[in-house]
Order: sequence, then C-alpha cells, then structure tokens
Amino acid sequence: MSQIEQELFQRLSDAVVDMDEDEAVAAANEVVERGIDAYRAIELGLSAGMERAGQLFDEEEYFIPELLMCSDAMYAGMDVLKPHLRSDGVSEKHKVVIGVVEGDTHDIGKNLVKIMLETSGFDVTDLGRDIPPARFVETAKEIGANIIALSTLMTTTMEGMGAVVRQLSEEGIRDRFKVIVGGGPISQGFADRIGADGYAVNAADAIRLARSLVAPAEAAA
Amino acid sequence: MVTIHFLPDDKRATVPKGSTILEAARTAGVTIDSPCNGAVVCGKCAVTLASEDLERVVEKGAHQLPAGERARGQVLACAAEVYGNITVVVDDAPSLRSFKIASHGEAAVVDLAPHIVKEYLSDLGVTRVLGGGALLTEEEGDTAGESYGVVVDIGTTTLVVALVDLVSGTQLATASALNPQSRHAQDVLSRIKMGSEGRGLAELRRGVIGEINALIDQVAGASGVSRSRIYEVIFSGNTCMLHLAAGVDPAPLGRYPYTSALTCAAWLPAQATGIDIAHGGLVYLPPIISGYIGADITAGLQAVRLHENKETVLFVDIGTNGEMALCRDGKIWATSTAAGPAFEGMNIRFGMRAGEGAIERCSVHPDGSLEIRTIAGTEAVGICGSGLMDIVAELVAHGVVGKNGKFVKPDSAGIPEKLAERLVERDGKPAFLLTDKVWLTQKDVRQVQLAKGAIRAGVEFLLHEASVPVAELQQVLIAGSFGYHLTAESLTTIGLLPAETSGRIGFVGNTAKSGGEAFLLNAVSREEMRDLVEQVQVVELANCKDFDKVFVEALSF
Repeated sequence: MSQIEQELFQRLSDAVVDMDEDEAVAAANEVVERGIDAYRAIELGLSAGMERAGQLFDEEEYFIPELLMCSDAMYAGMDVLKPHLRSDGVSEKHKVVIGVVEGDTHDIGKNLVKIMLETSGFDVTDLGRDIPPARFVETAKEIGANIIALSTLMTTTMEGMGAVVRQLSEEGIRDRFKVIVGGGPISQGFADRIGADGYAVNAADAIRLARSLVAPAEAAA
Repeated sequence: MVTIHFLPDDKRATVPKGSTILEAARTAGVTIDSPCNGAVVCGKCAVTLASEDLERVVEKGAHQLPAGERARGQVLACAAEVYGNITVVVDDAPSLRSFKIASHGEAAVVDLAPHIVKEYLSDLGVTRVLGGGALLTEEEGDTAGESYGVVVDIGTTTLVVALVDLVSGTQLATASALNPQSRHAQDVLSRIKMGSEGRGLAELRRGVIGEINALIDQVAGASGVSRSRIYEVIFSGNTCMLHLAAGVDPAPLGRYPYTSALTCAAWLPAQATGIDIAHGGLVYLPPIISGYIGADITAGLQAVRLHENKETVLFVDIGTNGEMALCRDGKIWATSTAAGPAFEGMNIRFGMRAGEGAIERCSVHPDGSLEIRTIAGTEAVGICGSGLMDIVAELVAHGVVGKNGKFVKPDSAGIPEKLAERLVERDGKPAFLLTDKVWLTQKDVRQVQLAKGAIRAGVEFLLHEASVPVAELQQVLIAGSFGYHLTAESLTTIGLLPAETSGRIGFVGNTAKSGGEAFLLNAVSREEMRDLVEQVQVVELANCKDFDKVFVEALSF
C-alpha cells in the first residue's frame, strides 16, 4: 500500500470515528481523484472506522447517538465511492435476513444492527417488524442468506425465535443458515435453549458474531 | 434426580438433573426474588452455595455476577443447573411491607353520590343495599349508617388500599405492600408471559388477591369496620394488572396490536374475584384507554379533571411504562412508552427497590462534596429509582457526566477535585463512587438515558400530534408514587422533560388511588370517564414516523 493510500484510508477511518461527514466526503473525493481503488477505500477506510466505532461502543465510550453519527459519516463517504466500485473486483457479500419477530413492533435495536451489518460489508435484507417465522425462512431460502438475524424487545414474543429454528430443522435445512438472536429479554442461555447459533448483547457484538459465523465458510471456500 | 436442600426454610426438592435452582425452589415452595422471571437478565436472584457444592452446578448463559461474588459461592438461581445434591442458602427476602410507598394523591372534590346506596325500610325492619339501583343484599335492622368502599391501586410493583366511608365521603385508612407478583416477574411483559399460561395466571391472581384481602383486613381492622359492611371495591391499575386480578388471560396485550381482552367500565361479583367483602358486593373495573394506557391513567384524568382544565396540560405517570396524556381545549391525546425497568433499579449495578439503605437523594455541595440520604438513614447498600435520577442529574449539572452521557476524565477542566477523585475504575470500567461500597457505572448512566429518552420521545410525539409548541405547555403534572419522590430539577436536568417546562411542573402523587376514590364516591364520574376515553386520541408510537430519530435525540442530556 502506498503512503498516500495509507494516509487516505486513515483519514476515512478517522472521519467515521470522529463523526465528521464533511471530512468523510472530502477524503472519499480525494480517493476518487487519485484513482485509488474504491473497494479497498471502503474496506480499509470506512469499514475499518466503523469497526473502531463499534469497539468504542463496547468500551462504553460511545453510545447509540455516536454510533449513528459514525454511520452517517460512513454512508456519506460510501455515496461518493459507490459509483466508482469496479463490479469485477468486488467479492460476493455475505447475506443476512434481519427482522423483528412476530407480535413485536419495537425495531430500534434491529435498525441499529442492520446499519452496523451494512457498514461492515454485509448485504442485508430487512423484513421489518412483526414478522412471522415462515417469512424469515422463505426469504432466507430465496436470497440464499448466510445468516438469519432475529430481534425482539418483548419477553412475550421471544418464543417466535425458537419457531424459526424449528421450522428450519423441520424443513431439513437447519445447517444452511446461521441463526443469531438479540434484544432486551434475550440472553445466551435463551439462545442455547432454542438452538440458535449465537447471541449478541449489542450491535457491535452482533458484527463480531456475524463475522465469526461466516469466517469458517470462507476458509473452506 | 437430584435433591436440593433450601435453607433457612429447611425445605427439599427432588428434581431432574439439569433443572435450575429457581425451578427447584418453586417446586419446594421456596420464594427466591426473581424479578425477570428467570430470563437471566436482571442478576437479582443470587443464592449462596457451599464451595464444595459449586462444582455440582453449571451456570448456563453469560452470568452476570462479578468474579468476587462467585468466589464467595454465589450463583444466579435462574442460571444454575443442578447436577448433584446440594444445599442452597436463600437470603431473607425483605418483608413485602417494608418498602417506601407513597399513597398520597391529589384529587378534585366530587359530589357525594356513590354507586352504593343503603336504605332502611322501617316497616320491614331491614336495610336494603343497592348498587346503581339494583338490589345487592338485605341486612337485618338499620345499618344505613355503615356503608364502606375500598379502592385498590394495583401497581406493577406496589399495592395501595384505601378504605372509604361512603356516608361521609372520608378516607378512613390506607395500607400498602409490594405486589407479590413482582417476586415471580418484575415487569409487565414477564407478567403477561407468565399469565398467558393457565397455571401462571392462577398463581398470579391468587397472589395479588390474597395480598389485597390482607390489606383490606388491615384497613378494616384499623378503622373498626366489619368486612361485611364493605360493598364495593374499585380496581385501579394498568390494563395488565386488571387482567391478572380479574383472572383474564393477558396474552393479547403481549403481541401487536396490544389489545385488551377485558370488559372495562363494568362490575364483577366480588365473590367471583375472590375478594372477601360483603355478600353480594361488587368489584368495579374502571374504563381503560388502551392496552397500555389503563385504569390508573383514567383514574388520574378523573383526579386532576384534566379535560376541564382551561390550560394546556401534560399529565405523565413515570414508571416502567411511561403513560401520558396531553390536554388542550378539552381534547386529549394519550400514549405510552416502554421506559424499561431502570427506574425500578433493574439493570442497574447497585439498583434496588425503595427499601432500607437505598440512596434516595443525592446532592453536590458547591465545594464538590456529596450529600447522600438513604431510606431509614442507614448505611448505603444500593440505589433506588429516585436516587438514581438525582445522582445522574447532579453529575450532569456538575459536568461529571457530559451531554453525551459519558463520564468525563477525572482530570477534565472545571470538575471540583472532590468529585474528580470519585471517578474511578471498577471491574475495568469507569465508575463514580458514591460510597466505598456503592457506585454508579457508565452502563447505569446508559440505562437512565434509555429510560428517560423513551419518555421524552413520548412527550415530543404528544406535543407534535396535538400541535402544541413546548412554550405553550402551561403545566406538567407528574403522577404516580415513583414520580412523587422526584424533583422538578432532576427531571429537566436529565431532559426527561423539556427544559422549557421548568417552573411549571407539579407533583400530584398517586392519582390512580385518589381518582379511584372519586369513582367510588361519585357514580356519575364513572360514566363521564367512560365517555371521555372514547374520545381520547391514542398515539401509537410504534407507528409514528421518525420515532427512531426522536428517541435517539432524546438520549442526550
């Protein structure tokens, strides 16, 4: 990596961490002007910045507003870089189906995870909220998802997560998808009980979890 | 099978291997405080094992007890699966009566015109008891001077009972206790989940009705009133509590669109509910507004006569669910918002109920020294909801917590030294020392932000729906016994209410009770409220555009 590249990637990453949209746009424009590969700028600049932001969230330095402002800066930089992505150089993204389970309409947590997944390079299909188990399964089959991500804030609706896992098993396709769960009343114990592949305590954790779950597949490929 | 021996109750349970300690305790009839109903979330159900027994349990899930407590043999009863015979020591749960519960509530004066009327028929020598004109029972002799009613405020956490003389219109006695249901399931949703199963519903119902009967006994005894002269009981409380007390499956409340399955503005025979009063006595369920805006709010609207107020008024009941109503020109908008259990001390490192040793007040002197007041004046052992609000507000006001909710660095400019030296690390994370043994964590501040942000977002949407600029809001009435312990300054400093409302905030106390008394004393007010709730515009926050955005903005201090 040339020094110029390295400096620009660092600027992009810092702009995201500093929640500075203008700087993210300026650095992204410079990437384009210098003809630097947009894909690498996103990976090593913007996404790396979001990863640092997630780390700060974990360390309780940042909270939800900061995380969202970081993602605003990230998206601002992305908008500049996206038109310059060479389609051939882009590897296939991992796909995630996300939604709030049936009976629940609280979706702030889900939206946050969605943003974090997108900014970390996942291709996210958001079904929204109050989603019956069958729709998660159908959509996952349809788009060939790697991960099904389920969210709920309500103790009264968390059993819907178990229903998704059961339906996958009944259709004999359980091993085709990783199921991850999160939300206020959810715990690792609950995730284990329903046979989910993982539980994330917050949005930053969800990214780590999603990455670790798709990593072995990558190694095998 | 394994056998678990519970101390100090000296009870045993034999259960399948892999059962949790909590499951075994329930089998044995041992009560372990488990506010989150075994969801491994609240971390409040710690029990102690002998060190040699520790290896016979496996704690599933991410367990929350700090390493030090584990080393002392403490495990979470809901997370610890048992694989051998063990002995478990359960800490004494504080008595249900030892908590600080406010029962005072403001109320507009109503004319004395109760639903219950007694008339002595001298020719027959009997006294007839009429409810809304219908004959309930007959008594020998002239008993017309002895006519009593009861209001029960069935709070999610607390129960308050008031005995009222229906002849003179005066309140004779009140008594309060923790709602025994909160030991099995702290919050409304856990309660709905448990109540959605037949056995759970029966247990929750039995618990609350039993405690209400005990409280009625207490107030009747204190006033020298016979239970057989109590003819009507008003159940005031949120929609879920009314379901559970009436024995109606609350499941629909737990799923979108969160509808009520209960017929309200209606009477039940007291006998059918298990409430032990006069033969033929009645239980009245007041009108409700929606699944999450219940009879407690209807009673509150009655207590403050919100709809008759000439000013633009916001009425807020602060609790796990923030319920609120806004009135302008006689028109009412209402909503409810999920604040979460932080105000109840849940999910707070040293959070506790308002019992002995709870920090309930905190202020910072100009020199930076801290003044802390605990309930009963004993050594601080934890923080209750009002203390939590006070502490966070003071730290925000003195720059120890920034607008973004983050603890500043101890060496930041402008922080008095005495405050700076309390900024320390505990378990590797920033914390603020209140005493040597009690501290506030960064995560605690985040929980307060989420709770107050939810209520503030609700306020913003009500103002928006009613097209009321905050400058035109003339009064804010804070209802509820929790709200009664708060200060106006804390509320505006942390931004639970807009700063502009400073100086216009009033505290009306437990209006669920006082409004219930108005229902008891004046039958017409019930009709009036039944008609009023039909006209209330319910604002469903889940369907509001930009709720996310407004909520996130409301997180800042």
